[in-house]
Amino acid sequence: MERKVDTSALWAVIASLFLFFIGGILTTVVPPLIDHSWSKPFKNDEPAKGLTGELKPLNAEQAAGRLIYLREGCRYCHTQQIRTILADTKRYGWKGVDAPISTPDEFVYDQPHVFGTKRTGPDLARIGGKYDTQWHRTHFRNPRNLVKGSIMPPFPWIVADPKEFSELVAYLQTLGRDKNWRPANDYEK
Amino acid sequence: MQDQISRAEATSASGGAIIHEDLTSRWFMLSSVAYFFIVGIIALIIAAKYVWPDFMGTSSWLTYGRLRPLHVNGMLFGWLLAADMGLTFYIVPRLCGVKLWSEKLGVATGILWNIIILSAVVTLLMGVTKGLEYAELVTPISVLVVVAWLMFAANIFMTIAGRKYQAMYVTIWYIMGCILWTAFVYLTGNFATLVTSGVNQANLHWMYIHNAVGLIFTPIGLGIAYYFIPRSSNTPLHSHKLSMIGFWALAFVYVWTGAHHMLHGPISQWLQSIAIAFSVMLVIPVWAVVYNLIRTMKGQWHQLRDSVPLKFLMSGVVFYLLTCFQGPMHSLRTVNAIVSKTDWIPGHAHMAVLGAFSFFAIAGTYYTAPRIFGKPLFSQSLANWSYWMIMIGGLGMFTTLWLGGFWQGWQWNNVAIPFIDTVVALHPVWLMRFLSGVMIFSGIVMFAYNVMATALGPIPEPASRA
Repeated sequence: MERKVDTSALWAVIASLFLFFIGGILTTVVPPLIDHSWSKPFKNDEPAKGLTGELKPLNAEQAAGRLIYLREGCRYCHTQQIRTILADTKRYGWKGVDAPISTPDEFVYDQPHVFGTKRTGPDLARIGGKYDTQWHRTHFRNPRNLVKGSIMPPFPWIVADPKEFSELVAYLQTLGRDKNWRPANDYEK
Repeated sequence: MQDQISRAEATSASGGAIIHEDLTSRWFMLSSVAYFFIVGIIALIIAAKYVWPDFMGTSSWLTYGRLRPLHVNGMLFGWLLAADMGLTFYIVPRLCGVKLWSEKLGVATGILWNIIILSAVVTLLMGVTKGLEYAELVTPISVLVVVAWLMFAANIFMTIAGRKYQAMYVTIWYIMGCILWTAFVYLTGNFATLVTSGVNQANLHWMYIHNAVGLIFTPIGLGIAYYFIPRSSNTPLHSHKLSMIGFWALAFVYVWTGAHHMLHGPISQWLQSIAIAFSVMLVIPVWAVVYNLIRTMKGQWHQLRDSVPLKFLMSGVVFYLLTCFQGPMHSLRTVNAIVSKTDWIPGHAHMAVLGAFSFFAIAGTYYTAPRIFGKPLFSQSLANWSYWMIMIGGLGMFTTLWLGGFWQGWQWNNVAIPFIDTVVALHPVWLMRFLSGVMIFSGIVMFAYNVMATALGPIPEPASRA
């Protein structure tokens, strides 16, 4: 048997694909069949069961803003996930309220996903409603005007295009809003 | 079995029974080296942007978010994979004792590959992207990649099918594995992700990202190391059986680990635990390979002094061991809570792709360039300099990013420190990374110049260059 696999290219092909597919199928095809939270959008209207809210698909303007987010590669420096780490919930909270941990049912409509791998800048999963439009305008024109020491690139070509700018801001303001985590909905516009 | 590698070469050398044309290898070598240089410039620009954020900052084409995918795709597919494919076109016919099945098909593959890389450059700078890391290329270009890969696969498998020796050296195993796994890994990352969304898509995507390194660059890189270490040191491989254990363990274990990129993230806890368990198991194939290669060099280490390819190869083996020790360690939840998403991760990724696999490819290029162009290497001393520049620059970059990233992670976990202070604190780390990058780049320039000068230079008079 060992001899056969050792000298036959056909056997080698079959065996290496077989071993690969065991793990491949068990870790990519099977999990979404078992864990339904991956495909069921978040919805809760009973305060007893935790935070209320509902995940809604983006409208046309917000979706256009998301495309700008992708085009400019924002996801290379900003993640969108509050992890099961205490510091994440504290750091990305607002006015003393902890940010809720991200769950799979909040991302069902994300295509492509923008979880990100690197935090050169802060996480954006709960950024929606924290800053108003005027803040974003100044910040995108040159981040260092507002945040000294920031290394975010300036995006003057977005600010110069009123349509693109309002689309991008509309998208950012949706982030993390499907869970009603801030008391009295004190969101900025 | 161990001496098979020598038998294969001996046949081709004796009496000129087989004359390898190596046209395809030349195409791939020259284009990959050119991309290594060009994309190296992009790398320097984005490293500079960390230190001077307004540098080239007001043009949308040259902003960080567009140059970074160009850097990643250019290095992975323009330089490293193309260099590895070129070396495969050199190695496989020699190990099989036959000519390459079709040089015409090979050259066509090389031309198609250049079309792919050039269209990638244009689309990425325009911000036209699929929006998935490592899989940014838009679908038409991805389709071309699949076509090119099928052409490559057909050529290599037909060469193997017509081989003169029944037993296959371990390099052939790894190359066959790479071709097969890459096909499925690439299809998953670039096409299956188109019809999924959210966490389901992310899971497929991370399976692709992880295995782009684990089942594309690892097997082809190890295949190259397994060929060139015994070749350049003129020593038989320590153990064929151990190399097989490493190969089959890699085939089974690697694909399970994708979800470790989402530890603590919004993905099922049990899937995270599976990914962690298999990540730790990765030490089995890694240590089998490293032990085998280190033992091969037993009593032969003095050869490193005079051989640039061996310097690159053995440093690459050490970096491979280190990077594959880091990998399983990061996947432990406690360590991950500190290093994940920090600058440690690029330090780790660069040690794998630059420190290990690019070192193997550079070594292979230095070894084969004189042989496929039929001239001596332009300059041995320049080659030696290129090693030390890339090595010292690389070490500088890896270590500053690890230390800086670890420190960054500690700061993030202390919520009393505002985020912007953790950015300002890393300024010296990014400056050091840029300076190390300048050293690495100067090594790349020496390497590229040396290869180009060898290829384009005149054929020297016999004995004039003893």
